[in-house]
Amino acid sequence: MKLNWKELTKGIFKENPVFVIVLGLCPVLGVSTQVSNAIGMSAGVLFVLLFSNILVSALRNFIPDSIHIPAYIVIIASLVTITELVMHAFVPAVYSALGVYLPLIVVNCIILGRAEAFASRNTVVDSILDAIGMSIGFALSLTLIAAIRELMGNGTITLFPMGSFDGVINIPWFYNNPIRVMSLAPGALLLMGFLMAFFDWNTARKKGR
Amino acid sequence: MTKNIRYALILLSICAVAAFFLALTNSVTAPVIEEMSIQARLKALEAVSGGLEIGEQTDLDNTPFVQYTIDLNEGGKRAGYILGLVTAGYGGQMTLVASYNLDGAMQYAQLLAHSETPGLGSKAADSGYMDKFKDTGANVPVPTAKAMLSDSDAQAISGSSVTFTAIAKAIAAGSEYVKGLGGGK
Repeated sequence: MKLNWKELTKGIFKENPVFVIVLGLCPVLGVSTQVSNAIGMSAGVLFVLLFSNILVSALRNFIPDSIHIPAYIVIIASLVTITELVMHAFVPAVYSALGVYLPLIVVNCIILGRAEAFASRNTVVDSILDAIGMSIGFALSLTLIAAIRELMGNGTITLFPMGSFDGVINIPWFYNNPIRVMSLAPGALLLMGFLMAFFDWNTARKKGR
Repeated sequence: MTKNIRYALILLSICAVAAFFLALTNSVTAPVIEEMSIQARLKALEAVSGGLEIGEQTDLDNTPFVQYTIDLNEGGKRAGYILGLVTAGYGGQMTLVASYNLDGAMQYAQLLAHSETPGLGSKAADSGYMDKFKDTGANVPVPTAKAMLSDSDAQAISGSSVTFTAIAKAIAAGSEYVKGLGGGK
């Protein structure tokens, strides 16, 4: 069986879900206040996107067109609820940190968008590659935004506590001179605008425009 | 008609399979979550007791913000109270426990459950957040507005004023409740 590696790599840069396709902005802007939140959210999205793509692709000949949206929503909502229950029981710190954004994965446009635009028209293997690529692209974008916002807004980088390490790294100069607006919603929108402009410029440059 | 029944059956079968897997996951996670919440509450009570002996819980009805009280004793004598408080934050209901001296001064507090915005209001669950309320409520008023805080504390609650005000009001109400007990029940 030949793997179509293009399906895996396209989500990372060329069709990056956040900066190029501009999907799932609500959780991106909401949870990108801390790097640990971004990592937790990315793990949740990876799980849900991977299994929803697998199920939607496997059932694509079984689900009629007229009821495909409610069927996809049932599949996605169930996967999100399973993720929520498992995170609550086994990684309570991440569950608390993600708060309301975890159940909101149900309405994350990336999940339904990929089910509708890709998994419902392609094989299970290609759908798996698409889900992994898109999840990596989403995780990298979200972590990049969270790292910049947390660094500039709080002067810290928050990871997960391990042993005697409390999970918070203080960055010397920024810690004493935080730009608070970066932690708030306007900072998220500003940064998002700059990063999208950069991606747009980079794409245009590669095309030689 | 037949087509509609077929669609309904397909959706029904998808829902049935989804319900089965949800029930299965719930049966595995529910006991773990319940045990964890009991442990978290015990840990929080221990943390706010300040080393005093934790007595029995008395549930309250129709008392704004205060859900229950627990006596804190020292050498057989009452030394303070732990109050179970409930308040409305930015993301919905928040529950916390706070301990008070007999004169109504808040000693320690800890957030038990909340749905505040990650990275903003959720910082109320961080260690040290409740320090700004310590020893307030008796001689010093509980800071219920940003203007009553030091510059660093005011900066720390940027973007989460609603959460701060909700917690402050609950702590202030708890303090008033303890003062109303007049040093003993």
